[in-house]
Amino acid sequence: MNRFPRRSEGVTGTVATPDQGAQQTSWERFEQLYRSSRDDVFAYVATLLGDRSTAEDVTELAFERAYRRRRTFDRRRGEERAWLFGIARNAALDELRRRKRHATLVVDPEDPAADGPDDGAEVALARTMVRQALSTLPAREREIIALKFHAGLSNAELARVLGVSESNAGTLLHRTMEKLRKACNATA
Amino acid sequence: MRLLDDAPMDPEVAAALDAIDSTLAGEAVDPQYAELAELALLLADDRPAVDPVFAHTLDERVAGQFGGAAREAERPSRRSTWSGWLAGGAAATLVAAVVALFVFVPGVNHASSSSSSSSSAASSSAASSAVGTTSSAGGGAASEDATPHRTSSGAAASSAAAPATTSSSGPSGQTPQPQPDGRKTIQSAQLNLSTAPSRVDDVAQEAFNVVGQENGIVNRSSVTQTGNADGNAFMQLSVPSSALAQTMTKLSQLTYAHVASRTDNSQDVNNQYVQAKRRLADAQALRTSLLKQLANAITTEQVDSLKAQIRDAERSISSDESALAALNHRIAYSNISLTIFAGSPPPVTATHHGSSGFTLGKATHDAGRVLVVAAGVLLIGLAVLLPVAAIAALAWWVGGMVTHRRRERALDLA
Repeated sequence: MNRFPRRSEGVTGTVATPDQGAQQTSWERFEQLYRSSRDDVFAYVATLLGDRSTAEDVTELAFERAYRRRRTFDRRRGEERAWLFGIARNAALDELRRRKRHATLVVDPEDPAADGPDDGAEVALARTMVRQALSTLPAREREIIALKFHAGLSNAELARVLGVSESNAGTLLHRTMEKLRKACNATA
Repeated sequence: MRLLDDAPMDPEVAAALDAIDSTLAGEAVDPQYAELAELALLLADDRPAVDPVFAHTLDERVAGQFGGAAREAERPSRRSTWSGWLAGGAAATLVAAVVALFVFVPGVNHASSSSSSSSSAASSSAASSAVGTTSSAGGGAASEDATPHRTSSGAAASSAAAPATTSSSGPSGQTPQPQPDGRKTIQSAQLNLSTAPSRVDDVAQEAFNVVGQENGIVNRSSVTQTGNADGNAFMQLSVPSSALAQTMTKLSQLTYAHVASRTDNSQDVNNQYVQAKRRLADAQALRTSLLKQLANAITTEQVDSLKAQIRDAERSISSDESALAALNHRIAYSNISLTIFAGSPPPVTATHHGSSGFTLGKATHDAGRVLVVAAGVLLIGLAVLLPVAAIAALAWWVGGMVTHRRRERALDLA
């Protein structure tokens, strides 16, 4: 299932410096993880929270927590990216809990510039349609979309973060995509 | 939402997921998945981008390792808080274990476990006619050496310390010491000591010395040293009752002996004592009265009759005085039956009370005791810590579960 290279390595501006086989300190491993995952974590958290400013705080908090716990990482329990996204997820859910307690929901207004100046009208329209359809999904399904398409996790990593089996993660993803597709068609 | 089962994936679903992955990897997909591929691309292209200013700030923070230890010191992590609590709890438990060990475990804060019961019977002056306590310590196998056979016996023959005059003179000048509540009691004790076959003589001599130090009397003694396990000594001792407890303590701590058993007895004779004194006083009053009558007697018959009554009264007085003196002696002096038998290995406690300096044996013994006490402390500490740790682990697990549920609930409500 995980036959393609990690999307974040090719798409984001961060620098991936694989150092396989070498003896790395926990700091070096963390720094490498940070470089390869910074934008992915932010994208995931921003999609989940719908608030860029809070997403920045939560992203920073997630990396700080990961830095503090870097020595406790156990490779036998999964890959570092899944571990990192687990931490980010907990931080984001804590933020959701905090929001619930304060009874305020802050959602960024849509950024018109996000479509990009070079996008054609048809593409922009399709993107808007997908955004609207995405907003109709429950948060749990938006999270799956965010982990898969914004954070670029493989299905195995997705399963690890969500705490389900890989086949179940795949089924959930497929179900969510079908739901999103129908929502898009309904919007159209 | 969470699925716990791991059923095999539907082939159609697997094919759709493969198409999504291929699309994200930039590969061509089957036309039947074109719509899915387009949706995947739109989703991927619409991912939120990091603000360059934030990215720069975060890079700097990471490069600075989030402020390093200073920040961590300012805001201690939950883990370190837990560690502090655990360390504090462990330290408190350890202290409690040490205190409990010293308070409740015999032999740690006492030189000899079997001597601790010595005063209980001695000081017991309740109205009950007899009170006794018995404590026993284990014996052991014999360790023999080739010491020549030798036997000595006889009344006070071995007593270098007990003066013969004392043994026969009775309690002259030593009136019974009243007990704290004023009642008269007769006390006695039996003590069985074990020692190495070659040490019977030494232990007997030590016992004699103790009796001498306490102004006691060796009424009877018999010492037989064979060098084998049949060596033994028996002593019938008499010591001032006021020194009984101290004497028993000293005898229990002889250098080469080990207490095998010990019995303390106490008998209340207060009524008997009061009656004896009353009889004596009555007899003395009768004699005084008869003497007065004799002084006023006129006829020879009267004089003879009164003289006869006075003689009877004086015999009665003499008898009562003897009975009272015997009772006083039994109250003032306590009997100790001391038996020393060979057969035990050299007692461990022997090295405790010796007056000689540092020896390898003492060091070994002390090291052994330190290890025993340390092991005891460790055991008690573990007994206390394990349930505490189990409760803490359960609380930690429950706390984690609650937090997890709250987070998932927050996601459901978002």
